[in-house]
Amino acid sequence: MTETLGNSVQTLWQSQPVEVTKMSVEELRRRAGKFERKIRWRNTREYVASLVAAGLMGYFYVTANDVASKVTFALFIAAMLWIVIALHRMGSAKRTPLDTDTLTTQQFYRAELERQLAVVKNVLWWYLAPMIPGMIGCTVAYLLKHHHRWAWGGLVLMDGLFVAVFYGVWKLNTLAARCLERMINDLDAVTQQV
Amino acid sequence: MSTKELVSTIEIPATASRQDELYQEAAAAYGAALERLARAYEADADLRRDLLQDIHVELWRSFQTFDDRCSMRTWIYRVAHNVGASHVIRQRRTRTEALVGLEELENLPDPDGDQAADRSHALDRLLQLIQQLKPLDRHVILSYLEGLDAAAIGEITGLSAVNVATKIHRIKNLLARWFQQGGKSND
Repeated sequence: MTETLGNSVQTLWQSQPVEVTKMSVEELRRRAGKFERKIRWRNTREYVASLVAAGLMGYFYVTANDVASKVTFALFIAAMLWIVIALHRMGSAKRTPLDTDTLTTQQFYRAELERQLAVVKNVLWWYLAPMIPGMIGCTVAYLLKHHHRWAWGGLVLMDGLFVAVFYGVWKLNTLAARCLERMINDLDAVTQQV
Repeated sequence: MSTKELVSTIEIPATASRQDELYQEAAAAYGAALERLARAYEADADLRRDLLQDIHVELWRSFQTFDDRCSMRTWIYRVAHNVGASHVIRQRRTRTEALVGLEELENLPDPDGDQAADRSHALDRLLQLIQQLKPLDRHVILSYLEGLDAAAIGEITGLSAVNVATKIHRIKNLLARWFQQGGKSND
């Protein structure tokens, strides 16, 4: 009896009136292209920002006329390159494959979220810490160059700016981590153990 | 070469015509099934339209790498269900109702008998049942309703044959409870 009822529910389901969506290949291509460009832009943005900053530091290095400043800028360039290498090694966000079975797709998606979470949680080590030697160099170079009474004010301002930028980067990554944790929780809430 | 031409050159794969053909073939054969599937993943008409378009775009994109390792039907359902599941996960934050598994649904009280007897509401009730389910169980019940056999359901979901059989058994009992006046299944 259950079998017969099952068949009639299947018939009910399959015979429901539907209006079939039709999308032209041009429209599909346009929408897919929009998404691809967004991903490509996101991936290149991280490298370009670091490389532009390294280029700027390179310019300052060439034009600096004292050893302390040159060392400082060299340290910043090294930090930027370290960040680019770290970004490259960690890899960009990977697209979840949709043509695999449900369980595999869910596992991949969760692993990818976990990986991204580890990246943003470790921002202190791979992004902020490499900048610290340059920041110290900057402070030393400033102190060597400025001996007037108000030099401390400038130093506090400069280091205050560094701290503010560090805090901003750390805070943004903390927010990103929270967002990723929420996504993992959302996924876990609808994922079933089999 | 203009920017538009450049973008277009980058994005059209070498196998574009095969990809387009496969998509058109899939859309023609499974268009109605995809509509039904979207209905099971999204109750709101506007959001459902967006979801359906996403399914079509992902399906078209997926055919770039379609290599006959599985049947076209399995491929289509995998892509469509995975897009639907992503949609459910994304929407979860804005919706208050908790999703449940088949096991939990079995333990919930039976639906109202009078309502269950009203065949004109049967489809709404079926959707109501499906939309409560967690994605994996939703995949199974939808595949069952589409008439797929246990092996095909296993291929789509990644579940073992035993797991699929158990879930189908539960689905049949649930459907009996929801659609048979007087409640419990005779199975």
